[in-house]
Amino acid sequence: MSASETTTLAERQAAFMRAILDDALPLPLGWGNSQAAGMAVYRGNYRSALMDALADTFERTKAYVGEQAFSQASAHHAIANPPASWTIDEAGAGFDATCAELFGDNPEVAEIAWLEWAMLDLATAPDSEPLDPAGFGARTAQFGDEDWMGLRLEFQPRAMSRIVHHDLTALWTVLGDENEPRPDPSLPEPQGCLVWREGERPTFILVEPGNAHAFAAMQGGASYGDVIALLAGDAPDDQAVQNAAMRAGGYLGQWLQEGIVTGLKA
Amino acid sequence: MSQKHSTISRFGGFGLGLRRTHYDDFLDGDVPVDFVEVISENYMIEGGRQLRILEQVREKLPVIIHGVSMSIGSAGGLDTDYLAKLKQLERRIDPLWVSDHLCWTRTSAHNSHDLLPMPLTEEALQAVCANIDQAQNALGRAMLFENPSSYLTFPEDELTEWEFLTEMTRRTGCYLLLDINNIYVSAANHGFSAQDYLAGLPLERVRQIHLAGHDPATPERAIIIDTHDRKVADGVWDLYAKAVGMLPGPVATMIERDDHIPPLPELLAELDRARGIASEAREPVPA
Repeated sequence: MSASETTTLAERQAAFMRAILDDALPLPLGWGNSQAAGMAVYRGNYRSALMDALADTFERTKAYVGEQAFSQASAHHAIANPPASWTIDEAGAGFDATCAELFGDNPEVAEIAWLEWAMLDLATAPDSEPLDPAGFGARTAQFGDEDWMGLRLEFQPRAMSRIVHHDLTALWTVLGDENEPRPDPSLPEPQGCLVWREGERPTFILVEPGNAHAFAAMQGGASYGDVIALLAGDAPDDQAVQNAAMRAGGYLGQWLQEGIVTGLKA
Repeated sequence: MSQKHSTISRFGGFGLGLRRTHYDDFLDGDVPVDFVEVISENYMIEGGRQLRILEQVREKLPVIIHGVSMSIGSAGGLDTDYLAKLKQLERRIDPLWVSDHLCWTRTSAHNSHDLLPMPLTEEALQAVCANIDQAQNALGRAMLFENPSSYLTFPEDELTEWEFLTEMTRRTGCYLLLDINNIYVSAANHGFSAQDYLAGLPLERVRQIHLAGHDPATPERAIIIDTHDRKVADGVWDLYAKAVGMLPGPVATMIERDDHIPPLPELLAELDRARGIASEAREPVPA
């Protein structure tokens, strides 16, 4: 870039930002050794701020892969995903995908990173009041079959679910204590993972995969009837529908018990 | 067009930054400070424990909200989503005042999460003043802006930093947060006189002082780096004494530590040192 190309403040700032993000770019024309020395400090500050933020957010991921591997992964993430948001917390967005790419032989790493990100996100979610089982019972006491099939729920803001293939409960516990021996992370079968907030404390549990699918569907606006149909599968007979209704009822009871449901949608 | 906002009254207290490590100290006991300062962005959130703690501390102490991401020097203007969230926090906390830095942090595409230096030009001054007007109008109150520490100057600079700050306060009615460590660091890095810097500022606009530690220059690195990770250096204490002696009235003083945060008593000891220096500097000279 030449001086004539960088005449406005906007252009100068864009050039400065490019120089921070890419060490290989030449410095603006007219800059001498003193500016080069200063730019080296800004480049270092930028990278260390992002890497420190990732290390704070993904403490357990870091403990699992080790300091050096985490440092390489966070540097890779910072270079591949330069932040755009005003909050540095957002620098961790997509770090689970970075881990999936870099630790392909250890897919549990990406799952730990996903869980840490979900927990961080929930820590600052809007406060909400749970609808407890008694309150739910009172609100649905007069429901007929049609009302039940059309029932839609409101959940805690930013509560999440997904299917996982590793024992995140065991991993979470041991990674919080460096003296604990590492468990075999794999699960015999995939499970669902629900993440929400108990009061002010983010928490999670592993559940049946159907529970996680049902939660995701209702969070996305599906009705209770839709969920029963989802759980019953294609071309179900009466028994399958009855079983699905019982499973849906069990899931709903668990969500109410855990305080994840906050209301009924009108 | 600059609107007139209410005057920010003088508040001559001594305070600390509220950091997570010390939450319990502030919640459980009476910490001997007159105010706390928080990083705005950490509390521009929708809910959760952190916000609740700030509200509880606010019930005990005045709070200052101090931002690092407004990017008042951005040529592309301010982020309106950011301003809306800052305003929400301001309404929630009712702070003593709201402050940020004379710097830029982002372009429309990326955020550096660092306080980047402004070219000291008339064009930059106009952009900064327009952004300050926007921010002050959005908040409905005057703000404080902090002098930054910097690691390079630009060949195109037309003004000194103190001339820039003076003109900025004159055009917008904003106030100054004087970071003594930043003056010390930039003076050493760019070879100007810290005394000239202080003498050139509109000191009647100063409402707060920051004191912090820095990483000194080394044989390999001629640049001093503003780190906030250690005790305030002796040279910074000396400059603080000079500054307090030059100020026309009391201002709030804060010890700012953001990394390697020690137990509270260590920071309180530094705050006591600031109290002692300020008290001595303001004593009338005997006839």
